[in-house]
Amino acid sequence: MISVKNIYKNFGDKKTGEISVLRGISCDIKRGERVVIIGPSGSGKSTFLRCMNLLEEPTYGEVWLDGRLVTPPDPYLHPAVMKVSKTFEKLSKANPNATEQELIALIKKDDLLTKREGKAYKKVMQKVENKYGIDINIARQRMGMVFQHFNLFNNLTIMQNLTLAPVQLHLKTKEEAEAKATELLHRIGLYDKKDEYPSKLSGGQKQRIAIIRALAMDPDVMLFDEPTSALDPEMVGEVLDLIRQLANEGMTMVIVTHEMGFAKEVATRVIFVDGGYIKEEATPEEFFENPKNERLKEFLSKVL
Amino acid sequence: MKFFNDIIQCFVNGKYLTSIFEGLKLTLIISVGAAIVGLLLGTIVALVEISNNKSKWMIIPRTICNLYITIIRGTPMALQLFIMAFVIFAIRGFPLEITAILSFGINSGAYVAENIRGGILSVDIGQTEAGRALGLSGGTTMFRIVIPQAIKNVIPSIGNEMIALIKETSIVSMIGMYDLTAAAKDVGSGQNLASYIAPMTVAALFYLAIVYALTFIVKIIERRLRSGDKR
Repeated sequence: MISVKNIYKNFGDKKTGEISVLRGISCDIKRGERVVIIGPSGSGKSTFLRCMNLLEEPTYGEVWLDGRLVTPPDPYLHPAVMKVSKTFEKLSKANPNATEQELIALIKKDDLLTKREGKAYKKVMQKVENKYGIDINIARQRMGMVFQHFNLFNNLTIMQNLTLAPVQLHLKTKEEAEAKATELLHRIGLYDKKDEYPSKLSGGQKQRIAIIRALAMDPDVMLFDEPTSALDPEMVGEVLDLIRQLANEGMTMVIVTHEMGFAKEVATRVIFVDGGYIKEEATPEEFFENPKNERLKEFLSKVL
Repeated sequence: MKFFNDIIQCFVNGKYLTSIFEGLKLTLIISVGAAIVGLLLGTIVALVEISNNKSKWMIIPRTICNLYITIIRGTPMALQLFIMAFVIFAIRGFPLEITAILSFGINSGAYVAENIRGGILSVDIGQTEAGRALGLSGGTTMFRIVIPQAIKNVIPSIGNEMIALIKETSIVSMIGMYDLTAAAKDVGSGQNLASYIAPMTVAALFYLAIVYALTFIVKIIERRLRSGDKR
C-alpha cells in the first residue's frame, strides 16, 4: 500500500553543511500490516514516518501510495529519465566505450544530475509525473497522522476539530461529519466534551481525540509519530488501548514508538532504524527474541 | 485662576470650540482612515512575507514587501509625510486628507505587517502540520486554523500600534493641516487666548480620551477572543 523507495533526507544546505538523517531507506507496507519502527533518538525514525506523508520532503527517493506517486519523481530511480539528461550526453561523449548501464551507475554514484538538464529531460520527468503523480492533499486524506504533541486545533471545539477537514474537503456533509464524530466520541467515551476547547482536556484525552480526528477522515492507513511520548505515565494506557482496538479491527498502521511491550504485542513487523539506515526488519518474535544486528542487541539490552 | 478661566473659554467661546472640534474631527478622520489602510496593507504584506510558495515569481512581491518594510521603518515619519505631500501628491487640488491618510496608513502598515508576521510565526508549527496532514490546503490551514490563533496573539501589539498612530498624526500640522494639535496652537496664539497652556491641556485631554477609549476597546476584544483559553 505504501511503498518507500530509497529515500534520503538531508537537512540544511550544501553551503552551511548538510546533516543527512535518512540515507537510503526502502520499505513496503502492505494493507493490514502493522509496522512498528523503533530506534534510538535522532536515528531518523520520525523523519522516516514524516516523509511518508510528505510533512518532510525527501531529498531523494520516492514514496508511492497504492501505485500512485506521492513525491515528485526522483530521476535517479528512472533510467529512462537519466538517459535523456545532458549529463548523460556529456558522459557518453567522455567515455565512448562505456555501456548505458555503466554510465547510469556512474551518475547515480556521484549524484551528477544538476538543475539544468535540458528540455527533453524536463519533458520526460513531466510525463512520469503526469502518469503516476497524485495530488499531495488527496494522498494525505488517505493517510491519518497522529502526532507526539497531539496538535489539536486550539481555536476550535472538539466537535469542530473532528468535522473541519471532512466538511472543508467536501468528503461529507456537515450532518454526516457530525454523526461520524458523535459515533467516534461515544466510542472513546468523550462525547460530553464535544463543545469544550482542547485546552480543557488532559493529555490522554487530547491524544485520543487526535486519533479519532484522523479516523473521521476514513483513512486507509494510520501513521503514529510517538503517540505516547508526551503523556503522563498513567495516561499512556488509555491511548495504547485505543490503538490496540484499531489494530484488532485490521487498520493498516505505521507506528513510531518507544513502548517495546506494545510493539511486541501489536506489530506484524518491526523495523529498527539507526543512523539513517534500516538495520533490521523482522517479525516481532524474531526481532525481540533473536536480534541479529549488533547495534540492535545493544539497544534492546538497554531498553528492555 | 487664568488657567481655569482659559479652559472654560475653550469650551464656551464658540470660535475656540469650533476650532478645537474641527481639529479633533480631522485627527479622527486621518487616524481611522490610516488605521484601515495600515491594517489592510499590513495583513497583505505579512501574508506575502510568510508564504512559502516556492515558485520563482514569488520573489518579486517578496522583494517589494521587504523593501517596503525596510524603507518605511528606516526613515522618519515627518520626512515620509513631506515626500508624499510635496513630491508624490504635489498636485494642485489634491485633497490633503487623502495624502495624510495614505502617508500614515503606509507607515503604519509596515509596523502592522511585522506584528502580524510575528503573530503568525508564534502559532505552533504543529497546528499547520496537523492541518496539512489531514489533507487541507495551505490556504485553508492558514485561514481556518493559524490566523484565528495568530489574531489573539497580535491584538495587544496592534492596539499599541494604533495608539502610536493616533498620536503620530499630530505632525500633519507640518504640512499645514488643521488637526487637534494645530487647533490648540491656533487657539493659544496671540490673536486668540494669548496663552498656550489651557488649549494645549485641552488637546492633551482629548488625545488621552481617544487613546483611553481605544485601549478599552482592545481589552474587550482581547477578553472575548480569549474566552476559550485557560489563561
